[in-house]
Amino acid sequence: MRPDEAAIKRSGGARRFALRCGLLLVMLGVAPVRGAAPEIITMDVGDEPGRVSTEEVRIEDGPFARQLVFFRTAEAPGTLIISTNDRFLYLVLGANRALRYGIGVGREGFQWSGLVKISRKAEWPDWTPPPEMIERQPYLPRFMAGGPGNPMGARAMYLGSTVYRIHGTNQPETIGEAVSSGCFRLANGDVIDLFSRVDVGAKVIIRQAAQL
Amino acid sequence: MSFKVVPPEPLLGKWGLASYRDEKDRARTEKMARVQCKNPYVIAKGPTDGVMMHVADDPDEHELALKKGADGKTYLGFNAPPGDPADRQVVELTPKVLVMKFVDPDTNARYGTFVYVRC
Repeated sequence: MRPDEAAIKRSGGARRFALRCGLLLVMLGVAPVRGAAPEIITMDVGDEPGRVSTEEVRIEDGPFARQLVFFRTAEAPGTLIISTNDRFLYLVLGANRALRYGIGVGREGFQWSGLVKISRKAEWPDWTPPPEMIERQPYLPRFMAGGPGNPMGARAMYLGSTVYRIHGTNQPETIGEAVSSGCFRLANGDVIDLFSRVDVGAKVIIRQAAQL
Repeated sequence: MSFKVVPPEPLLGKWGLASYRDEKDRARTEKMARVQCKNPYVIAKGPTDGVMMHVADDPDEHELALKKGADGKTYLGFNAPPGDPADRQVVELTPKVLVMKFVDPDTNARYGTFVYVRC
């Protein structure tokens, strides 16, 4: 086979693979964000395994503090709406009200939008560092059972059958920022509060900024 | 300084590495450590009496010695008296499992107890 024919076959194969992944995501009710501009990381910090952030840590001041807001929506009470561009998560309460939480959004959180449900909830979830982190920090365990030094924080709410999660953090200063790792994170005290209000099966809508 | 150095041969080889904080998580963490043999932690012999391993928060390997303390416990760490804050206490060592706990309370709180399962 000539080199250009091989390249065409590879690119064709790659397109078919991407199409199948896209179709799978659509079937799951979520969609990759087509043509999304690469998100701007506003706080370029990696995970800090071993750093402790307790259950008491909440965002107390400013727009990213948990607060009751006016929120007009047709969605039912108990629905979660995540606006990644604004770094807010809304828990619909009904009667045009919502509880609004400040979130940090990791790279994975910018890569898809759509509708899922909370499939599982966990307290002090486990964490598996990615291989590239193990390369940089080879003293790390390859699996950390949940606890205060774990970057997943105090609670996790798993989204559908995806690998994505709403979770806590041991880096509360990243709330309100776009960071490199993780999905949707809240300060531990705030994620514990959200966790207590959200049921398995709750609807979650992820909204990305409109692409022009 | 005089303390007894224990032969390091039982530590050599490839291990799956995981950590836990609560004893209730020990059994499942050991199972997860076995899974981590896909990216094993390799312990090789050092140039003298010890093994080449990492200490907390340092990406470089150092030669560490297995040391017998006056308290009857075994420690792994630098050439310093057993029980030094930079050491780890060997909680359990069998041909298949190694369990170590950081002596320094802050490091222990941050990283938990390390479980190594032989691959």
